[in-house]
Amino acid sequence: MDIIVCVKKIPDPEIPPAKFKLDMESKRVIPPEGIPPVINPYDEQAVELALRLKDKYGGKITVLTIDNDADTSIVKHALAMGADEGIVLADKAFEGSDSFSTSHILSQAIQKVGNFDLVLCGRQAADWDEGLVGAIIAENLSLPLVTLAEAVDVVDGKLKVKRVTLDGYQIFAVPTPAVATVSNEVGQPRLPSGWGIISASRKQIPIWKAGDLDADPSQIGAKAVRRRLVKLFIPVREKKCEIIEGETTAEASVKLAERLRKAGVI
Amino acid sequence: MKQRFDAIVVGAGPAGCTCGYSLAKAGLETLIVERGKFAGAKNMWGGAFYGPTLFQLFPRFWEEAPIERYIHRHRFSLLTQDSSLSAEFTTKKFGEPPYNGFSVLRAKFDHWFASKAEQAGAIIATGLQAEDLLWDRNTVAGIKAGGDELPASVVIACDGVNSDLTDKAGLRGKLLPRDIKQGVKEVIQIPRHLLEQRFNLSGEEGIAWEFIGSFTRGIPGGAFIYTNKESLSVGIVAQLSALCEKKIGANDLLENFKQHPSVAALLAGGNLVEYSAHLIPTSGKAMIPTLYSDGFLVAGDAASFVLATGLTLEGANFAIASGTAAAEAVIRAKQKRDFSRKSLSCYPELLKQSFVLKDLKTFKKASLFLENSRIYSQYPELACDLANKIFTNDGKPKKKIWKLLKNSMKDRVAFSEILRDLIQIKRAL
Repeated sequence: MDIIVCVKKIPDPEIPPAKFKLDMESKRVIPPEGIPPVINPYDEQAVELALRLKDKYGGKITVLTIDNDADTSIVKHALAMGADEGIVLADKAFEGSDSFSTSHILSQAIQKVGNFDLVLCGRQAADWDEGLVGAIIAENLSLPLVTLAEAVDVVDGKLKVKRVTLDGYQIFAVPTPAVATVSNEVGQPRLPSGWGIISASRKQIPIWKAGDLDADPSQIGAKAVRRRLVKLFIPVREKKCEIIEGETTAEASVKLAERLRKAGVI
Repeated sequence: MKQRFDAIVVGAGPAGCTCGYSLAKAGLETLIVERGKFAGAKNMWGGAFYGPTLFQLFPRFWEEAPIERYIHRHRFSLLTQDSSLSAEFTTKKFGEPPYNGFSVLRAKFDHWFASKAEQAGAIIATGLQAEDLLWDRNTVAGIKAGGDELPASVVIACDGVNSDLTDKAGLRGKLLPRDIKQGVKEVIQIPRHLLEQRFNLSGEEGIAWEFIGSFTRGIPGGAFIYTNKESLSVGIVAQLSALCEKKIGANDLLENFKQHPSVAALLAGGNLVEYSAHLIPTSGKAMIPTLYSDGFLVAGDAASFVLATGLTLEGANFAIASGTAAAEAVIRAKQKRDFSRKSLSCYPELLKQSFVLKDLKTFKKASLFLENSRIYSQYPELACDLANKIFTNDGKPKKKIWKLLKNSMKDRVAFSEILRDLIQIKRAL
């Protein structure tokens, strides 16, 4: 089974929120310097799910990412885990893309890769947590979609996808090719092996530009953005502590009630 | 894909990158494994390095390497609780290529260094820890890493002071706290114009500033400030055994140092962006392990190649020079197709020819001398007290300097002790 996995580079989710800065003007989040970005953990789990399918049924795993700095580190991480090929999509024209344009770029790249039975994405990226790209890719390519996939199997030539629900699961039978977004219930992704890391570090990663993808210029980059972020700010959370005293418990309770009423809480 | 490497270098610090670079350049199939996510991720030093070792490897490296500033001034200060006495040296030559020293940040610098090795043809595998050695009878035959066996003709351990592989090869005994200094460092961000104003710098000029004094509470050690482009590397080093005995944390000493009025003024308004700690092997020649065995070599901090003379603490140069020597020994062994202990025995010979073992021999008594606690408390106090008496004008009749000195020495240190220490200085330094 040939699988394409879309992965995204994000600031390390372990970074404490207080270390981030906001640029209110450009409405951008600025992560602290010196802490290297990581592969989105949900995407890493999508790679893991793809590897489990490969272990069982064979086939080829191709990893795609959009990275305008042409940084290959997260693709190499996926290769070190056991994926076969990796491609970085990098072009100045991609800058400022929103979920729609990102999905357009990825859809074009998926079509260029060609033969595939399944496209996997993480359920969402742990930076903005929107979870749109997988669904829009399915729409763009007119393919069946299952979100929140926990496990995938092949039964009678069809994909059997287990989808996580709030208090249980659903099983879908889906014809190939299909798209699935992968949930964290997949579990721990495997650690790269020694030879995995060595062969990944040797591999040349092809860089595809907008021209290579036959991407529609009106669909990509900042000018294609369909939504506008109105305001980005760090909410102010104030905490205060006041100790209400009283000779007796009853007296303190009355004072507390009065204080709460004054504060407009009750 | 699976293959046998000519050489596996463990650790992508200055020793490992130099060694891997030289091996790959000579056409050997070389693998460098680094446990950090990238080269430099886990590496730490004070923040300044000196001398021509890197220049010999990469002429005009300062034009391409991520250098912060070149060191054109050296300052040395003695501190007491509230006073300081300083001396400074600078010379025009320090400000001209090939420069005498540089301040650098490891995360960027080591990344560059590793990329040079990669360009030369070495494979750099990051995020991979060498868990164990692979043995063929009594010969090291590779490493175990990431659950796989990676065979090689020779393994070069450049895995730092806590060299696990040197232990596993049975080449050294236990590290003792007395032979180790603990370094703790903060990188403090300060806007460039403010930093240059405070330290009187212009352009790419930088200062290396070393301190000893009361802030270490008598514990052998000292502090440093190095200027980067837009930040300061501020840290202390202190002898580990003394920290343990006195139950003081190295970070407490760093706080002590930062709160000294002369230091606090330099750091004011700064923003802490990085905190790191490191162990430094400082007993010199006495603690060097066996440097080689069948199919195995040790270089850099793993071989305890650090020179501590009190005024300087040098490791990077020694790492680079020993990495070069190890590579040379391996290249010769490869020509002979013999990686046995006998064939690799040219390694210590090469080190003896270079400054590495020469310097460590010259200063072999330094570490014992530097344990003298008078250096860290009585002498700085004496000097500051004397300076205070000379420079304070209290309207009373003045005394001769000799008399003031005698007066300052009272209750602090006896003439006989000074004499003894001077003789020790002559012997050790």
